[in-house]
Amino acid sequence: MTTVTSSRELPMYNRVVRRLFGSWDQTQLTFSFGLVLLMAISPLIIRSPYYIGVIILASLYAFIGISWNIVAGFTGQLLIAHIIFLGLGGYTTIVLLNNFGISPWFGILMGGVIAAIAGGIVALITLRYGLKLDYFALFTIALLVAMRTLFLKWEFVGGAVGMYLRLETPSVAKMIFASKLPYLYISLILLAAGVIIQYLIYRSKMGKYFIAIREDEAAAAALGVNTTLYKTLAVMIGTALAGVGGGFYVIYVTYIDPTGIYNLGVNAEIVMASPIIGGLGSLIGPLLGALVNKPIAEIIRANLAEARSGITLIVYGLFLIASIMFMPRGLAGLIHNVYDRLRTPTHQEEL
Amino acid sequence: MALLEVKNITKRFGGLYAVRSLSLEVDPGQIVALIGPNGAGKTTAFNVISGYYRADEGNVYFNQREITNLRPDQICSLGLVRTFQVVRPFQGISVLDNVMVGAYARTFDSKIAREKALEVLKFLDMHKIADQMASGLPIASRKRLEIARALATDPQMILLDETMAGLRPTETEEVIAMVRKLSERGIAILLVEHVMKVVMSLAEKVLVLHHGELIAQGTPAEVVRNQQVIEAYLGEADVAG
Repeated sequence: MTTVTSSRELPMYNRVVRRLFGSWDQTQLTFSFGLVLLMAISPLIIRSPYYIGVIILASLYAFIGISWNIVAGFTGQLLIAHIIFLGLGGYTTIVLLNNFGISPWFGILMGGVIAAIAGGIVALITLRYGLKLDYFALFTIALLVAMRTLFLKWEFVGGAVGMYLRLETPSVAKMIFASKLPYLYISLILLAAGVIIQYLIYRSKMGKYFIAIREDEAAAAALGVNTTLYKTLAVMIGTALAGVGGGFYVIYVTYIDPTGIYNLGVNAEIVMASPIIGGLGSLIGPLLGALVNKPIAEIIRANLAEARSGITLIVYGLFLIASIMFMPRGLAGLIHNVYDRLRTPTHQEEL
Repeated sequence: MALLEVKNITKRFGGLYAVRSLSLEVDPGQIVALIGPNGAGKTTAFNVISGYYRADEGNVYFNQREITNLRPDQICSLGLVRTFQVVRPFQGISVLDNVMVGAYARTFDSKIAREKALEVLKFLDMHKIADQMASGLPIASRKRLEIARALATDPQMILLDETMAGLRPTETEEVIAMVRKLSERGIAILLVEHVMKVVMSLAEKVLVLHHGELIAQGTPAEVVRNQQVIEAYLGEADVAG
């Protein structure tokens, strides 16, 4: 080490702080892993299987939120009915297991592949016919309705009844466990992978191009961005992750049916609420949002479900409206403001 | 050999000819101005050349290669880049990130793109605002950002669409100096401009469009004395005859 720079002379502590919190992007990554770690050690304190279940679904919502964030948050494409691809991944996984005896470990990955292919087709069709923004959103909603009808009539995948996991004795190969803990760790590994994938994309050329497309598509094209290619890539990455998430979701909840999965209300809770509450387009948003969204949805359901049917949806909807009104940039936006304020005094010396 | 060669391009909107059989040439490193009254078809011509509109007729060649009706990003990667009349910064990201989007046109490596972007910002004396959000910039800086992003794509030629519009005189001087610097790098420039002072001080050749057709071309001094040009701008001297 002949070239000793000033940063090398800094104490170890400062170097670690700079590495972990040096930029807002790194700070979000650090906090994300902190939260994943907290969820991983939560069973030390939380014993109740019910609460562990809530944490499993929260981490899955966060993973699914990341998958939507890459499409809707990064490139700004209103792929509203993203749950279509969750459904495809879920059905793929359960059909492979029930009908062909193929392990979910592989089936979940195939779910991602099938969902990505479907996503690529949707992207190419909509881009070919120039469907953007609200028209693209409407197209995806129409597709959701079409998928529901198709699956309701399709006896091979169980029609209106749907498909159930044949619950057998616990088996690692079939991803059936007696305790909830293995599910928790599988979903946390998925989430950690999602966090890393999202971060790597965000920092790469692809991520910069995604955001350029969101901010101004025509200007991006002028600077050499093949907007069709990159919009398709974003959709395919997002839908691949959604397919994987859907595959695990089905294995965890043990069934899937057309009205339950190809459903806009479920879509709002599982796919859209977490990134929106947490901050669409930010790195930590889907994770932060899921940790608020899932517990609140559970609390509302636990306390109000018996009062009058439908009331839970009204209260949950009001909660979503309030969070959009009062936190347009989500929880991540609030934290970002605090971060900027803390950082300003030390910021100048770096320039 | 001309760098950009436009041959007889025509663009119609319905029955209206926005550009009619327009031909022009720009040599490597040359500064050419395209002027004309409002609605003359200047921006339409830009949009056809840069791939935003399909030409109804005619051909565009860049470096001897036909680029007619290629996509904007393909044209950019061949070394011909444009700016917009109404500036279009990527609002939600920093100035540096904006310029990096341009720099990525030549590399996949974020480190190289970053260095290129910083080099461009320094060259244009904008490195002090590199970390600022594009959304907070005043109009003059946005115009400069538009040029910086274009420059970061490593072009052989830049199409500047009314870069000076809406600027104060001192700001205009700054941008004129910027365009000169681009030219000194050997980059050819085709500019659409309303501010005659800019045209007179920058352009080596001036083309005058009127109702979508080329009515005059020559040096700035020749063009301002041209009777047809004066009539196009001011109307005919004596309508009653």
